[in-house]
Amino acid sequence: MADRAELWIFLLFAIPLVIAAAGVVAARNPVNAAMSLVAAFFFLAGIYVLLVAHLVAFLQILVYAGAIMVVFLFVIMLLQLHDQDMQDAKLKAMQWGGIIGASGVLTVVALAIQQAGEIHWKAVPESFGTVKAVGMLLFTQYLLPFEATSLLLLVAIVGAVVVAKQRI
Amino acid sequence: MPTVSSQDVLALAPVAILALGGIALLLSEVFLTSGKRGYQAFLTVLFAATAGLTAFGATPGKVFAGQATADAFSAFVTITVSFGLALAALVSASWLDARGAERGEFYALSLFAASGMSLLGMASDLLVAFVAIEIMSLSTYALAAWMRRGKKPAEAAFKYFILGAFSSALLLYGTSLVFGATGSTLLSDVARGPLQAGGSALLSAGLVLVAAGLAFKVAAVPFHVWTPDVYEGAPTPVTAFMAAGVKTAAFAILARTVLAAYAATGGAADSAFPRVLAVLALLTMLVGNLFAVPQRSVKRMLAYSSIAHAGYLLLGVLAAGLPAVRERALSGVLFYLASYTASAIGAFAVVGALESNGQPGDEPADAWDLERLAGLSRRRPLLAFAMTVFMLSLAGVPPTAGFVAKLLVFQAAVGAQYLALAVVGVLTSALGAYYYLRVVVYMYMRPAAEGEPAGVTSPVLSVALAVAVAAVVVLGIGSEPVASLARAAAAVVR
Repeated sequence: MADRAELWIFLLFAIPLVIAAAGVVAARNPVNAAMSLVAAFFFLAGIYVLLVAHLVAFLQILVYAGAIMVVFLFVIMLLQLHDQDMQDAKLKAMQWGGIIGASGVLTVVALAIQQAGEIHWKAVPESFGTVKAVGMLLFTQYLLPFEATSLLLLVAIVGAVVVAKQRI
Repeated sequence: MPTVSSQDVLALAPVAILALGGIALLLSEVFLTSGKRGYQAFLTVLFAATAGLTAFGATPGKVFAGQATADAFSAFVTITVSFGLALAALVSASWLDARGAERGEFYALSLFAASGMSLLGMASDLLVAFVAIEIMSLSTYALAAWMRRGKKPAEAAFKYFILGAFSSALLLYGTSLVFGATGSTLLSDVARGPLQAGGSALLSAGLVLVAAGLAFKVAAVPFHVWTPDVYEGAPTPVTAFMAAGVKTAAFAILARTVLAAYAATGGAADSAFPRVLAVLALLTMLVGNLFAVPQRSVKRMLAYSSIAHAGYLLLGVLAAGLPAVRERALSGVLFYLASYTASAIGAFAVVGALESNGQPGDEPADAWDLERLAGLSRRRPLLAFAMTVFMLSLAGVPPTAGFVAKLLVFQAAVGAQYLALAVVGVLTSALGAYYYLRVVVYMYMRPAAEGEPAGVTSPVLSVALAVAVAAVVVLGIGSEPVASLARAAAAVVR
């Protein structure tokens, strides 16, 4: 019974998630696409909550739906893209190519899942997805990539300044 | 619970030295008192040399809970990358100075990129590999956008960024699938195969996506489309550094990943994963060489040739699937990377020296046309000689480094029963000789057009070219020390 309820809650988040994600691709207006993306992020966060990964869900909303999307919208508004920019014939051809490619990938993944049959997943520990568990992993097993990320951020800042310069 | 020991920290010394060098050069711009920036390139060379030397002394072993491995393989990669960085810094100094675009940030970004490459050579975890690839890539994106005068450089930088980001997304998605199937991102755990019998399809899908992401970075066909435009549009010294350094580091992690994939899915020639790699290698050798033939622009020709070389390197990685020839194949790949680093940076340096007419801002539209090389042997005999050596090495003519490198890789391919691919490799190399030697023919047998400028050279550039020529010739004639180093490096990777 509990499984059935979980499935219904999953569908409650998953179906709008797919619709919102499709909206990102299909929207003519970039602002609409960005707003669809925000919606998609929220539904995805819901699925994380369902998986008891509260921290990931929280970060998803805070970082993606909050910070990154605001920057997205700023850029779109500053660039002032118009609808007609998106109506190129070449773009149309690329869209069809993309549809064919995406359905190809989908077929392969679906076949892989079907071939795999029933997988008995290992249960994750009780603390999975909590702040404590993530923190422990970050500072023990994943210390090196965590520290290397600081260098990555420095490079990103320097690179952004270099690219933003008018002329060197 | 794993704790950080002094060995963990010491193993990362080359990466740390390169990163500190980057920070030092960033700060050098802050405390700049005069417009003279000539010392910055020398500082870069100094940091590169120190990092290369410390890589020799590292104690081998797994560090940071198995996330990275300090071994002879990573040391070889670090030394090759540092050598490439030092050469590229000298070439950049001359090129940027002539255009008034020399800044500390340029060298800082180069050093950051090199530290990412060095870390990539050590990475034995997909997550570390991802972070290292991003450090390397973000630096090279910014470097490619260093000078955006005209339409082409801006387009090239943007294309590089978008497609690079896309390939990183593929890599990350693949990593998540691999984690799902094996419960770990460590390559040593990936090599053990899926946790459950049913997970093999998931693992294959993940590994294919990871391989596709890496194939973007090494510019293997059909993931090569960005390469000609980006290599042509980026500032020439940056192209040189990208071609040599990014290829070296990306092939290092590709080799480690592919070996883990072989262990997980079976490395015999008839299993699926090697077959996919074989097709990639075949296409890359064919397309790279065939498209290089009609190019009139030397820079674009070198870009396609870099794709072709990725094909030969892929052949080496493919041959490493058979345990009996693994050591030979990997040492061949490592030697190939070292030889390609010297040859490619040298060739791009000559192209960069000739592309300007001497005055700042005076860059003709046909800056890289073959015609500009006509009669170079009379105008600039030494420059023409250096270019000849690089072209012979890229073509694989004895007694240059390129010949030994190709020989080692093809021998390994034959040893691993990839006869047909080895034959294709030899035939396409012969095709390659045509477009490389065409450059030599233009330099020595065509009369110079009236008023062709002599190009811009400087003492630093001469030093860089002399070192590159010496490296190509020494690696070609006395290849044994470096080859044995490469064998020792390959022996530790299992």
